[in-house]
Amino acid sequence: MLTAENLTKTYRRNADIVRVLNGVSLAVRDGEFMSIVGASGSGKSTLLHVLGTLDAPDSGTISLDGKRLDNLSNRERDAVRNRTFGYVFQFYHLLPELSAIDNALMPAYISNSFLGWMQTRRQWRRRADELFERVGLSHRKTHKPREMSGGEMQRCAIARALLQRPRVLLADEPTGNLDAEKGNEILELLHDLNRRDRVTIVMVTHNLEMAGTTHRTIRLAGGRVVEEKGPTFRPRLLSAAV
Amino acid sequence: MYKFLLCLKYLRTRYLAFVCIVSIMLGVATLIVVNSVMSGFSNKLKDRLRGVLADVIVETDNFSGFDLHPQLLEDRIRQSSAGKYVDTVAPTVEVVGTIQFNFRGMNVVKPIKLMGVDPAKQTKVGGFGQYLTRQKNSMHPSFELTPDALALFEKNVRLEAMAREPIPVAPPAEDFLGQGPKIVDDQSAIPLPPVPAPNLPQFEAPKPTGIIVGHSLAHFRYKNPETGQVEEVPGLRPGDHVMIATLAANEMRPVWGTYVVVDYFKSEMSEYDSQFIYMDLPDLQRLRKMDERVTHLQIKVTEDCPRGYSFVKPHVSNEIQKLFGKYEARAATWEDHQGPLLSAIDIERGILNLLLFLIVGVAGFSILAIFTMIVAEKIRDIGILKSLGASNRGVMGIFVWYAFLLGVVGCGAGTALGLGITCNINEIETFVNEQTGQQLFDRSVYYFDKIPTNVETTTVLIVNAGAMLVAIGSSFLPAWRAARLRPIQALRFE
Repeated sequence: MLTAENLTKTYRRNADIVRVLNGVSLAVRDGEFMSIVGASGSGKSTLLHVLGTLDAPDSGTISLDGKRLDNLSNRERDAVRNRTFGYVFQFYHLLPELSAIDNALMPAYISNSFLGWMQTRRQWRRRADELFERVGLSHRKTHKPREMSGGEMQRCAIARALLQRPRVLLADEPTGNLDAEKGNEILELLHDLNRRDRVTIVMVTHNLEMAGTTHRTIRLAGGRVVEEKGPTFRPRLLSAAV
Repeated sequence: MYKFLLCLKYLRTRYLAFVCIVSIMLGVATLIVVNSVMSGFSNKLKDRLRGVLADVIVETDNFSGFDLHPQLLEDRIRQSSAGKYVDTVAPTVEVVGTIQFNFRGMNVVKPIKLMGVDPAKQTKVGGFGQYLTRQKNSMHPSFELTPDALALFEKNVRLEAMAREPIPVAPPAEDFLGQGPKIVDDQSAIPLPPVPAPNLPQFEAPKPTGIIVGHSLAHFRYKNPETGQVEEVPGLRPGDHVMIATLAANEMRPVWGTYVVVDYFKSEMSEYDSQFIYMDLPDLQRLRKMDERVTHLQIKVTEDCPRGYSFVKPHVSNEIQKLFGKYEARAATWEDHQGPLLSAIDIERGILNLLLFLIVGVAGFSILAIFTMIVAEKIRDIGILKSLGASNRGVMGIFVWYAFLLGVVGCGAGTALGLGITCNINEIETFVNEQTGQQLFDRSVYYFDKIPTNVETTTVLIVNAGAMLVAIGSSFLPAWRAARLRPIQALRFE
């Protein structure tokens, strides 16, 4: 279980101090699909980044199964980013020089030395093939990001996020840059992953309709959790189904 | 693993990588070409400075030469501790003088340095036989005339003799009355006995004494106004005779004689070629009335004697100096003789290296600038990699490896380009001359036919190592800055 307690985060811009998170606490259960909504500047993206160790909180704690994540050494933090969390961003953030499959394999490239990669490359490729099959991108493996549509790039980013079998998938407005149809397809895919593969997902979105389809929704305003809907999530049922 | 992958991808796809490679390539190529040409010039110049000088030279300031017979001097040297290193001792007389000759109606007088040598010994000592034009590399060069030169000499003498005789006046064809006496051929007249012709001695040119003249002394150089090229016109040909004047050995009194050119001396060192005149040692001794005295001893060290100033100076030169009084004679190595010029070359090289180092520094800063641009361009990628778990060291490694690869490619291309230019520098110079009409390398300045080059493997390696160090070193600061970026900071960068 991913928990955050009393998180605060401030940004300084010249003399101005902006308090983005102002004592946020939440808990994400295993297998849950949670959404975070709020107006622009409410701190939802910052909360997601702090949860995923991409940014450090000013105060408060983050733990995964009771183990603190906010005070890790650089090496441990890099390993957490590589294996524990998977990230999906609004602007996909694929490396333009690499093909779709190389982009998806990047977490494995990072976690392996040259020799380690040579020894394990077959199983990684098999894993990437499975994921491409899963996200429906098998026909685009060798294409560069510039040769793919927005929806395809986001599917590639999801495949990359899932490569290391992360504990939590953190999605920052994953449909924000797509039209309604493609956005729904991506949402469907996320639901499907959550349902069938028991992937825990925390999604930031400003689309309340999409948020409504998730197990639980929290709303942020002024750096605080002001509302929580749900949960509609029943872990036992889900595990029984799998 | 991702470091190598991204380096290779960036290398293949980045325009800036190409700019960086070209920058390193040009720097390396320039350094190799400049160093090779400089080294070629330096070597050639050192060879020429060495030129006519023997390993060790013993000279006296006494105008009439050493008081001892050269053979005695040689014996003393051979019996000294330096004797075991002495291979050949060639006695010479070196004295200033003037040469006078006619060239196209002009009376030409020039200052000269007269060198009386024993041709066989001097050839053994070096700096003589290899520079002769006709008798090039002959082990036994002589001051004898070739048949052609002798024929030219005799023709010249005959022409001059004729020029000295009064021009005969032809008798008038008619007397003042216009008819002249009528001569009747009387068949019955008793013929007078024939007048015996005077028994005049057969014409014989004086026996010529040969000399070898410096090439530049015997040739005049003119710039052709039409072509702009420098042309050489021979002022003295083998067989031409000249008058040489110098001073007698025992008193301040001019002595002179007529000599005939038998060969040219061309060391390609302007100072020697425009002043030196070689003649047989006994001829010069006779001219100066100095018996068998000599003014110089040219010493060649043995093959097994270690070469180099650091050995020859203390073990040979200084030992020989001990045989003579402080003011009697000076023994010095060829380096001592050319000291100022040799140090000039070294100073020149030092200054050039300093300037080239500054160029390398400038190239380093351009690589730094390019790398800063590359990092700025790749900030989003850095954010992505860090969000996927790349470490600070890993991100820094990408850029350092990238610089290494750029350096390797740039150095490889630069070395190939530099060596290519160096090997074909004369062809390139000819091409540029033809295209622009400007002569890049004026042969009249250096007396070199070609631009000399000398590729030193060590220099090429040092240049490459330096360029690699500069490339990698310049990447450190941008790479470190990239590594310090926080992922969110980098991902938000647009």
